[in-house]
Amino acid sequence: MSTITGRARPLILALCLALSAPAAHASDNRAEVLGTWYRMILELVRHTPTQTPPVASRAFAYTALIAYEATASGSDRLQTLSGQVTALPPAPPREDGASYDEDVILNAALGLAVEVYFANTGPTGQRAKAALAKQLGALTAEGVDPDTLARSEAYGVALAEAIIAASQSDGGAVIENMGFPMTYTLGGEAQDWVPTNLIQLQQAPLLPDWGKNRPLTLPDGEACPLPPPPAYSEDPASPFYKEAMEVYEVSKSLTPEQRAIARFWSDDPMLSPTPPGHWVAIIFQIAERDQMPIEEQVNALVRLGMAVSDGFIVNWRDKYKYDLLRPITYIRRVIDPKWEPLLNTPPFPEYPSGHSTQSGAAAQVLTAALGEPFPFTDRTHEADGLLPRDFPDFWAAANEAGISRLYGGIHFRAAIEQGLSQGACVGDFVNALQTWK
Amino acid sequence: MRAALLLTLIASPALAQDPAIASFTEETAPAGFTHSFTGEWEFMVGGGTAVFDCNGDTRPDIFAAGGTAPAALFVNNSAPAGPLAFTRHTAGLEETSVSGAYPLDIDGDGTLDLALLRVGPDRLMRGLGNCRFEDASAQWGFDGLDLWSTAFAATWERGATLPTLAIGTYIDRTQEAFPWGNCTPNHLYRPNAQGTGYDAPLPLEPGFCALSILFTDWDRQGTPDLRVSNDREYYKGGQEQLWHVEPGQPPRLFTEAEGWQRLRIWGMGIAQEDLNFDGFPEFFLTSMADNKLQTLAEIPAEGAPLPRYRDIALKSGVTAHRPYTGGDLRPSTAWHAQFGDVNNDGLSDLYVVKGNVWAMPDFAEDDPNNLLLGRADGTFLESGDTAGVASMAQGRGGALVDLNADGLLDMIAINRNEPSQLWRNTGGNTATGLGNWIALDLAMPGPNRNAIGAWIELRRPDGKIMQREVQVGGGHVGGILVPHHFGLGPATEADIRILWPDGTAGDWQTIAANGTWRLEPGKDPVPLPAN
Repeated sequence: MSTITGRARPLILALCLALSAPAAHASDNRAEVLGTWYRMILELVRHTPTQTPPVASRAFAYTALIAYEATASGSDRLQTLSGQVTALPPAPPREDGASYDEDVILNAALGLAVEVYFANTGPTGQRAKAALAKQLGALTAEGVDPDTLARSEAYGVALAEAIIAASQSDGGAVIENMGFPMTYTLGGEAQDWVPTNLIQLQQAPLLPDWGKNRPLTLPDGEACPLPPPPAYSEDPASPFYKEAMEVYEVSKSLTPEQRAIARFWSDDPMLSPTPPGHWVAIIFQIAERDQMPIEEQVNALVRLGMAVSDGFIVNWRDKYKYDLLRPITYIRRVIDPKWEPLLNTPPFPEYPSGHSTQSGAAAQVLTAALGEPFPFTDRTHEADGLLPRDFPDFWAAANEAGISRLYGGIHFRAAIEQGLSQGACVGDFVNALQTWK
Repeated sequence: MRAALLLTLIASPALAQDPAIASFTEETAPAGFTHSFTGEWEFMVGGGTAVFDCNGDTRPDIFAAGGTAPAALFVNNSAPAGPLAFTRHTAGLEETSVSGAYPLDIDGDGTLDLALLRVGPDRLMRGLGNCRFEDASAQWGFDGLDLWSTAFAATWERGATLPTLAIGTYIDRTQEAFPWGNCTPNHLYRPNAQGTGYDAPLPLEPGFCALSILFTDWDRQGTPDLRVSNDREYYKGGQEQLWHVEPGQPPRLFTEAEGWQRLRIWGMGIAQEDLNFDGFPEFFLTSMADNKLQTLAEIPAEGAPLPRYRDIALKSGVTAHRPYTGGDLRPSTAWHAQFGDVNNDGLSDLYVVKGNVWAMPDFAEDDPNNLLLGRADGTFLESGDTAGVASMAQGRGGALVDLNADGLLDMIAINRNEPSQLWRNTGGNTATGLGNWIALDLAMPGPNRNAIGAWIELRRPDGKIMQREVQVGGGHVGGILVPHHFGLGPATEADIRILWPDGTAGDWQTIAANGTWRLEPGKDPVPLPAN
């Protein structure tokens, strides 16, 4: 029993195809169930106002855990993560000798996960969820005898309910005021974060306590610490000034390629599936291209979900520990009062870069799970008019996601580089988990 | 040293120079205004009202969209300065699936017609007089299409005998599980070469789920462009839009190279007014938790400005981002917006209709409408609660309009799945009362009878000139076409000039306060009686 490696992947893929467990259905619809629910999830993340990147990362993590455990509970190849992941309950036992339908179990579990983690979506999301539940319910029930159907649905629901119940105490279950505190005290020192836009809600920063949430895979809340950012200074000879000048000068001479990169990884909440969703979308594009078996899909999804979610927790911890101002504040104060970055500056402190941490975490776990090199084409934003981008491996994508924040004028270089390193550190904890039997 | 950031519930605190509060009395029931905009998903937006005089008695009548219920026309029987009184009238407008409506005189016969926007084919209803209407869509060659229509605007392009119509549409309603990214195109209806009807609708693509559109001469170059406010909930790759609509030319979008700046909001309504008296309009854009007040970033000494705007909502105190009363602290949802001077102090005020989309738990359920009173320094004071109009109903459309000929703007709110509401402005709550006023009824010979596209200039006592464009469009799926109301403060007369749509400027004319005047090109103002 070992984690899957890149070199082992072709062999494992062949084994998966050859040894897929028989289902009650004539055909295994789990890949369709998984992919269709996740297509819905990516839309709901985009269209539910509380789903800012940290909140979305949590939803992706728990939804993936539910999909993984539902699949693992009927798999000869996957083992439960209960006992390895903090507070994750064991899957309910199945009745000896009773028949279960794996399609139905996965659909029931995911349906409940979507219902709970996106309970607060708007009327269109509610209508869409109901329509999809009906559609996939009909698909998975077809040809399944009533007893098996009822037993399988109940099992999927029970499995999901247990994980959902465990998630309620992690600190991230309740989001008020779209994540912006009603009152907040700014630091007041020159280096401290201050609001960067004219939106009233965002005069306080997003989710200042998110770093206190309970991680899934890290030993404690102190894991993966970072050194402080360069000391604040307005001296042109200082490292801090030089970092700011780099952002400023790059912004003044952006190439079309740099501009495209900044836009591609912008991943704005409510206008995209957010940075965590971007990586989820990448997995599904690869899964479709490679006809990835269901076990391999849920393995990749759960590793990605937990890595990104834990990445946001430690990243947010350090954002509020260092409380650093954004480039737009410093550059307008010290270098050019009329400077405008390409991207909208997110409403929270600068160091480290959230996208960099979570992309580093994603690259670290996907490289371990799927291998290196691993060329892929990322078409996540095609519907938004952004051209696909090709990458030789996951770290190339993560590095590009990181530097995109400098091109966009919203991060200094240290936040990017340290963020990527922090992500790799988080990813290593996830990589230590055992998923394959 | 740590600085505290105070997040207050009130849009702006009361100051010594605060404006007089206009007092309103709800007269929904006694006025006989029994109506509701009803429906589920396909009627989560919409609920517009059109206010206009349909029987020539100078009293504005109210048409209200009904959603799944039939639309309704309420004929105004209010006595001058008296309580509001309406009678529901069978007018030939009792269509279902109506999302909103706008009045305009399409055929230039002097009787106002009505553009009905629907979840389904739209209709152009010709006014027959005495508040009767007939469907003239076929006669005018108007193909109403089978879409979810949610926005409307009209302009008379240079030399045209019929207005050019723009209709904004929303989501492809056949997409049940994955509606996102399925915005349908907006359409431009231009008159045919003979001027007898309309050519086939011209798609304005891409469409990004428009909830408000407005022809506006924002740069004062003499040709209105088409401003479109879009709901980011449903588009992909979308943004707010501004179209060049030049006579004889296909419409084309303003580009970044022309100065257009990308803005992506839950756009739901547009209101326009020149708030700073520089001759260029400001735009209030309604959204969710983040309403915008835009002013031009730069006005060059010569030539046209670029379409670059600064958001001054925060500093002006009009973010209206959460309820200011009632205890529900979740973010607000704003729909219809309209400027008007409710206290007649010479400064425009802002009415915003609020209401949860449909049980969205992250947004306020008890979301009071706003009545923001303009101050001389450019900021606004929230008065919805003190004025008595802080309705917690699920608002959508609305109007500020003088319904009883007393010179005070009254208020309408169209509510979804709840009774709509009507308030009478009963004057000030101070000993001095409210200020003086005038109302101007613009009339032109030819097809554009109501001078759509004209600019009204009013010289203020401080010498500054307030300029207002005469428009059909904007708001949230509804608009008014009544004499144009201005507050004057203590002034007993007003200096007025009209810049007519053909570019000619009338003479400055001084007219007495507290009356309605008809203004026609080349003629002296004529007072109109208050019936």
